Amino acid sequence: MIKPFTTAVTDVLPQLGFQCVTQKEITVKSKKIIASGVVVTLGIVGDKKGNVVYTINKEGAKNIASIMMMGMPVEELDDMAKSALSELSNMLTANAGINFSNDGITVDISVPTLMYGDDIELSMNKDEIICAEFDVDGIKLEISIALD
Amino acid sequence: MGSLKIMIVDDSTFSVAVLKNMLEKSGHEVVATSFNMHDAIEQAKAGTFDLITMDMTLPDGDGIECSKEILKNTNDAKIIAISSMMDEEIIKNALDVGIKTYLQKPVNQNELDAAIERLFEGEELYDILKNNYEDAFKESIFSFLKREIGGEILIDDNALTSAATRNSSGISVTIGIIGRHSGRCVIDMSEDTALNMTKKILQDDGQSIDTAIAFISEFTNVVAGNACSLLNGLNRSFGLRVSPPTVFRGNDITISLGDFLNKSYIIKTDLGDVFMNAGFQKVMNEWK
Repeated sequence: MIKPFTTAVTDVLPQLGFQCVTQKEITVKSKKIIASGVVVTLGIVGDKKGNVVYTINKEGAKNIASIMMMGMPVEELDDMAKSALSELSNMLTANAGINFSNDGITVDISVPTLMYGDDIELSMNKDEIICAEFDVDGIKLEISIALD
Repeated sequence: MGSLKIMIVDDSTFSVAVLKNMLEKSGHEVVATSFNMHDAIEQAKAGTFDLITMDMTLPDGDGIECSKEILKNTNDAKIIAISSMMDEEIIKNALDVGIKTYLQKPVNQNELDAAIERLFEGEELYDILKNNYEDAFKESIFSFLKREIGGEILIDDNALTSAATRNSSGISVTIGIIGRHSGRCVIDMSEDTALNMTKKILQDDGQSIDTAIAFISEFTNVVAGNACSLLNGLNRSFGLRVSPPTVFRGNDITISLGDFLNKSYIIKTDLGDVFMNAGFQKVMNEWK
């Protein structure tokens, strides 16, 4: 269930100019997830149904947006930076969708919704949420997946 | 769809004549023809065309390069590739630069008509969605609240005209919408409002915040689901479906409303205000 997403991260991020993408631990969380920073969620419908949530802290989000915009400095999480992060979530989830389809599983994805703040308590549609952590050039990227 | 203004780009005078003949037979107007890339780019800058047919081999470049240049200047130009060459790689390259459809020469009348219809049917369908989604979501949330909460329900759809972000009142629920055009719906309210509504619906004052979260999840699910059903009823090919809800709760959450077509509402009820945002993006895979 998590493999199409982790493969998407290790495939897509280097193409966007990130040097070192390392997968850290995969955990299963049963309780609510607490997140601070930028949280982007996308809906998934098809042979599998659920949601995926990407979490990055605010500084990391600005760095990622900056690298995605060819190194343009990002001081504030402005519209351009938010748009870059939404696009990133789109690319990763669409790529995961292609990975699913290679296994004969068809899924479609929704438009991303981006939120930011501190101590955001997140509840997804499943009791068991699979979380994968990545180190992307020193930035922590977390992916939480609730799929049936 | 009506009569379209079309430019033909093709290095062969014979092909231009054949295409012109077919397009005019279908009631379209061929307002420009171009035999090379340079001229096509210049003409595309100077005029507006509903559709451009593009050969892949041109004397001073190729159709991919030419389309890329044209689309740089007019992002929403619709380009159909019509070429004798057609293989996976060239189709992929064409798709990547934004060409909408690929036809192989020799093209027959039916094939050409069907491809153009498909292309513009998408446009008309999006217009139907654009013109009706607001009413569908308003009707959906109004009837839910009227039925479950009762009292006065007032939808203010002018309060938040162009805000790009919204501060959450405490609990935010997002639902993804998937279909011919994908989208999403966000409903946001304070914990008090969610608790008040839960108490009222369950007719029991002893409600926990977890029950209130379960309520607002289901509320959003029903509102988005009913609105999508209403829209699917207008045209089955929308095929809209909703993903399960994701709930965000906190004192300091900003919701980014996105850069696609969307609309925000404040719904005033006796038990507190509800914020709703719904929207759809235009992009769709026209090659499907």
